[in-house]
Amino acid sequence: MVNEGEPEPPILLKPLLEYVTVQSWIDGLKQHWGGDPATDDPERFPMLEAFCRHVNRDPDRIIKETTMIKDGEKRIRSKGRERYAGLIDAWQDEIPGSRIRQAKWGNTVRSFLIHNGVLLAAGPQT
Amino acid sequence: MEFKEVVGRRRSIRFFEPDRPVEREKIQKMLEAARLSSCAVNAQWARAVVSFRDDLTKDQLKRLLTPVASLNVEMAPVHIHWFNDLSIVNKIQGSRLRELVDVGALAPTHGWSHKFVDEFVYPQILKPMTAGPGYPVASTFDVGMAVSQALLTAFDEGLGACMVTLPGAVLKEVFNTPDEWIPLSTTLVGYPAESWQAGGQRPRPPFEELYYEGQYPKPFARDPKVVENLKAAKMIQEPAKPNNPERIAEIKRLADKYGLPM
Repeated sequence: MVNEGEPEPPILLKPLLEYVTVQSWIDGLKQHWGGDPATDDPERFPMLEAFCRHVNRDPDRIIKETTMIKDGEKRIRSKGRERYAGLIDAWQDEIPGSRIRQAKWGNTVRSFLIHNGVLLAAGPQT
Repeated sequence: MEFKEVVGRRRSIRFFEPDRPVEREKIQKMLEAARLSSCAVNAQWARAVVSFRDDLTKDQLKRLLTPVASLNVEMAPVHIHWFNDLSIVNKIQGSRLRELVDVGALAPTHGWSHKFVDEFVYPQILKPMTAGPGYPVASTFDVGMAVSQALLTAFDEGLGACMVTLPGAVLKEVFNTPDEWIPLSTTLVGYPAESWQAGGQRPRPPFEELYYEGQYPKPFARDPKVVENLKAAKMIQEPAKPNNPERIAEIKRLADKYGLPM
């Protein structure tokens, strides 16, 4: 889905909490907003999982494709970030339901990227 | 609002009511305040282009967005783009200094005269200065003072505002500015969607780490009585605190209202 060329086999996902980047996401949510992010929104993980299946990437690979290590420092890959921003926008538009519902799905994935250090903004979605 | 309270209330507002228009007269007041700011040799380097967001085409707005500032830019109904007109000193050639002499702002008591301006200040100081490497930096300092006055005026008028940096080349192209104008920062203006407290006054380094007396590194002693006086005058306000439940609730409410990620 992300790269053109030979289609890759459908991804096999582990339970999401086993991914380092999902753990970082949950830690970030907890640090910022409090509560128990692993359980307080039952839709959170299914939404990320749906996106992972949509792009055929696991969470760690999504972050790997939007960041890089250069001169020993973590950097954001501009093109990767832009590509995923576009993928999220397009995916969100396909979600059935109201615009608010669509925004929630997209924002859940954006939140995953944001708490892994990948800045994303989608503008007001009202 | 009293001046000290205006200073105390100013903080970068990043949630604007996107559909609430800002009165044109309030924008004019901001520009009027900028025009009255202190400026070396009365050159007036500051230039501004006021852009009403909804007058921009979709493509123009999109080109202005940067990853960091995009949400603020999209939410703010008014953008004031600031520039430094580097050409002004050689255009006016000291004429505004002569005006200052004429009105008694610069007087012979301090050594000023038309002849001094015409024969010495412009040709021997200002003109060569404009060719020096420090000129853009020095003149931009004065633009900053103008911008600061405009910024404070926004808060005095009950508006919210914040400063952002947008892509300069795009600004020049979209707003068709002269080549000699250097694009600087942009003031985003609108009615705050967040409370005016916006979580409290932003953290600042300790006073003593910033200001010195006599010689570095002797700190300028901070008198607690003055601090109390400024608190009473609402210039020094309740500081923003980490993990403030009220602020967290406010941001959650705004995220829900505007469909923003958390």
